[in-house]
Amino acid sequence: MRPTLRVNVFRQSLIVSGLFVLGLLVVNLAVFKPSTVAVVMLSGLYQGMLFFLIAAGMSIVFGLLDVLNLAQGAFFMLGAYAGFAIYGALPAGTPIEARFLAALLGAAVTGGLAGALMEVGLLRPLYARPVYQIVMTLGLSTALNEMVRAIYGPAGLVPIEEPPALATTFTVLGGQFETYRVFIIVVGAALMLGISLLLQRTRLGIIIRAGVQDSEMVQALGINVRRIFTLVFALGTAVAALGGMTAAPFLGAYPGMGTDFLLVAIIVIVIGGMSSYEGTAVASLLVGLTRATAEQISLQYFNTPILASVSILLFMVAVLLVRPTGLFGRE
Amino acid sequence: MTKASRSAGLIWLGLLAAALLIPYGFAALTGTPAQDAAGLAGWASAAAAAYCAKGPTPLVWLQAGLLAGLAAASLAGRRLGAWAEAVAGARGGYLTGLAALAALPFLIAAVTNSSACTRGQAFFWQAIFVDVFIMAILAISYNLMFGFVGVVSFGHAAFFGLGAYSVGLLMEHLGWPWWGAVLGALAISVAIALIKGFVGLRIRGLYFALFTLAFAQVFFLLAGNRLLVNVTGAEDGFTFAVPDFLNMTKNRLFFYYLGLAAMVLAFLVVRQLMRSPTGRVLVAVRDNENRAQMLGYNTFYFKLIAIVIAGVLAGGAGVLRGLSLKGASPEVLGLDFTMTPLIMTLVGGQATFVGPVLGAFGLHLLEDFLRDTVVTVAGVSINVGERWALILGVIFILIVIVFPYGIVGTVQNEWRKRRARRP
Amino acid sequence: MSAVLTVQDIHTFIGQFHILEGVTVEVPDHSITALLGRNGAGKTTTLRSIMGLNPPARGQIQYRGQALNGRKPYDIAQLGLGYVPDYRAIFRQLTVEENLKIAERRPGDLDRKRQFIFEIFPDLEKLYQWPGGQLSGGQQQMLAIARALVPDNSLLLIDEPSEGLAPVIIEGMMAAIRRLTAQAAVLLVEQNFRVASQLADRYVIIEDGRSVHSGTMPDLLASPALIQKYLSAA
Repeated sequence: MRPTLRVNVFRQSLIVSGLFVLGLLVVNLAVFKPSTVAVVMLSGLYQGMLFFLIAAGMSIVFGLLDVLNLAQGAFFMLGAYAGFAIYGALPAGTPIEARFLAALLGAAVTGGLAGALMEVGLLRPLYARPVYQIVMTLGLSTALNEMVRAIYGPAGLVPIEEPPALATTFTVLGGQFETYRVFIIVVGAALMLGISLLLQRTRLGIIIRAGVQDSEMVQALGINVRRIFTLVFALGTAVAALGGMTAAPFLGAYPGMGTDFLLVAIIVIVIGGMSSYEGTAVASLLVGLTRATAEQISLQYFNTPILASVSILLFMVAVLLVRPTGLFGRE
Repeated sequence: MTKASRSAGLIWLGLLAAALLIPYGFAALTGTPAQDAAGLAGWASAAAAAYCAKGPTPLVWLQAGLLAGLAAASLAGRRLGAWAEAVAGARGGYLTGLAALAALPFLIAAVTNSSACTRGQAFFWQAIFVDVFIMAILAISYNLMFGFVGVVSFGHAAFFGLGAYSVGLLMEHLGWPWWGAVLGALAISVAIALIKGFVGLRIRGLYFALFTLAFAQVFFLLAGNRLLVNVTGAEDGFTFAVPDFLNMTKNRLFFYYLGLAAMVLAFLVVRQLMRSPTGRVLVAVRDNENRAQMLGYNTFYFKLIAIVIAGVLAGGAGVLRGLSLKGASPEVLGLDFTMTPLIMTLVGGQATFVGPVLGAFGLHLLEDFLRDTVVTVAGVSINVGERWALILGVIFILIVIVFPYGIVGTVQNEWRKRRARRP
Repeated sequence: MSAVLTVQDIHTFIGQFHILEGVTVEVPDHSITALLGRNGAGKTTTLRSIMGLNPPARGQIQYRGQALNGRKPYDIAQLGLGYVPDYRAIFRQLTVEENLKIAERRPGDLDRKRQFIFEIFPDLEKLYQWPGGQLSGGQQQMLAIARALVPDNSLLLIDEPSEGLAPVIIEGMMAAIRRLTAQAAVLLVEQNFRVASQLADRYVIIEDGRSVHSGTMPDLLASPALIQKYLSAA
């Protein structure tokens, strides 16, 4: 029997990623005091989870449909605005927890429906023309941002109130940390696991993994691939929209809020190896931790957060130079 | 009408006639019309600059007379039918367009009853056209990579922005003379292209596109960061002084012709490149890289040549942009200056020579015409200028659906089909 | 014997290329029909046209009295057609079990057919949890055919089952395909004439995108001139 090459590469990438995190931790411990290290690590995880929520859909959709959805950031924003609208529409007497939950669910549903609409209406006619598709998603992203600006004004909305239980802070190793960030980490981790189970354990997951390789054969087996495409695209945008609403108590809602995250999400899926779900999950955490560490170093020594963005860009360039298809990517 | 203004009017007419006719004259005399036309645009620009600087001096009269004489010689040398054919053909189309652009400042001056040399309507439109020329060069450069070589770059703004930044920084902070700064900026473009090429071309397809995006984004972030605020002015950018003859405020007509000449030059460079054996290999690389490799071509070096030429062209466009505004700010490194030429290329027609130029003219002029228009739809007032991004998106979507190969590409295809149907 | 599949004078274009210029094929029930011809004659395209993957521009395709023209590939498959492409199209990231599971058309298809599949291809039982990408060429070929057996297909289109396989494995493959005629008709593309002649009941010869000859296999074997003209030096 032939050696299990693919499994070895996968394990290798995991080990490298682990060592990288370890290295970051060492750098942290060497440069900061313990309380700062705790805050940086938690902040890295929290950022990583937000990146993951945008990147997950992009990565799976890219694998299956060969479309890089540059409008994913706009869906992040759309989720925040939809959540705000639902939050505001519920009568004032409703408990905050209920309003908040409704806003989260509503954001996901809105994002999913809008995504399905986009896939069927705008992308489907362009499947034979990949570059046009990318430009189309970018154009749509601009259009959505501009529409929101036209309707809600350029200023953005003040962050909504999170449930009181999440509005507290706690202390880790002497560092102050908001409970809500932990909530974001938990939501992100739950979705990370949920999507992984969906891919590994369900029939839909089998079809998606098969479709990434050869969607024509999947179709020849009697499966309506187009419908699967729409469903997967909608799931991806729903997760991004949920991410936007999850971040809303922190960031508020403003036009263009997704664009900053989009660039990072692109870097995440490139580092992870495009179309590899495991790669995206691992890379989003690596990028979050790298970014948080670089941000803190940069603030400490240069008094500006410049290294935060530059560091992950350099990280991406470095990964591409060593492995041109990303950490977990296939040739 | 005073005598002075009448003679000025005569000069205009003379130059106008010359600009319209001389390209054909040159074509008849030497047989390489496009190159002569470029030379002629340069000559006309010199004459125009002299006219604006000193008024109708004997030298200007002489030049106008010479230009008109060449035109007459050409007229005498050709039959009328050949003229009509030349105008109808593609080459004639280029020359007619070029002649129209050469005459445009004076046409606008005549129509708006203002002077081509001083502040006023004509002056205002010259500035807009300088922008159009710059964007057209950028689109031509983008099309070289995207349309002809088939390499998608999301970081073309790096060339453009660094061109604008370096020409200013070299003059302002290192005290280089203008020509040194321009050459320096172009050399930096070459260096950037080589780095991108040696590092990035190992990476295929979308990975390369995203690599270039990250590459450009690093410069965008650095330019906007307060760390280098004393050099770059951070998010506000910086301004710098340029010599008088390059000063758009003082010598706009000259800058107009400079921009036009640069655009024609970029057009010719790409056309000559693509018609050379190197260009044929590049197209082969686009269509099937593995096959080109098997035929024994080192496709990497061919792509490297293309990226260096595209980089110099885009960097040159950036230099013009920096000089015309006498300053640079981080937006020239931003995603807009990658996506706009991409959209101009797609709208005009990828892998055609004139498509990106038409795309740049169409979209940029449309934006300017509509800048202050307010449209009211169903009670909602939309300020077109403020919502330009949205409208551009809609235009793009419509054009992509109606003209799948861009406007020029689709028209060419139809033309070929119709010709093929004819017996 | 009634015909399961009737292909009537189809013309298929791929891009601008006119690949099929009139192919007519008839597949009787519970039998094996082989498409023969030289490389590039249009045999694979014929199978792909039937599956709707390269839909024909002209001509009729009828399956059990229903027209297949204009239907989408998944729709055609659901009528009871199984397709085994020449490149096998095993999903490398999926285990053998998942590769079979994905072919289910109703829940429980695999549970009903598992024993039958293991009987025909005993190797697959040992490899059940292996990733498809780690199987050998012969094992992948078995899996590709087994995948077409999971739902109740009554017509199997099998492209080049013997390609790249060792002789001893080809023997097993042939025995397996012969067993399939109990449930289904088979339309086979086979480059290896020895295999085709032992396996098939009927043949159709395709030359330059046209079906030029058809009949029963014993007739073909009795006519060396025909073999010489269309099939030699392939």
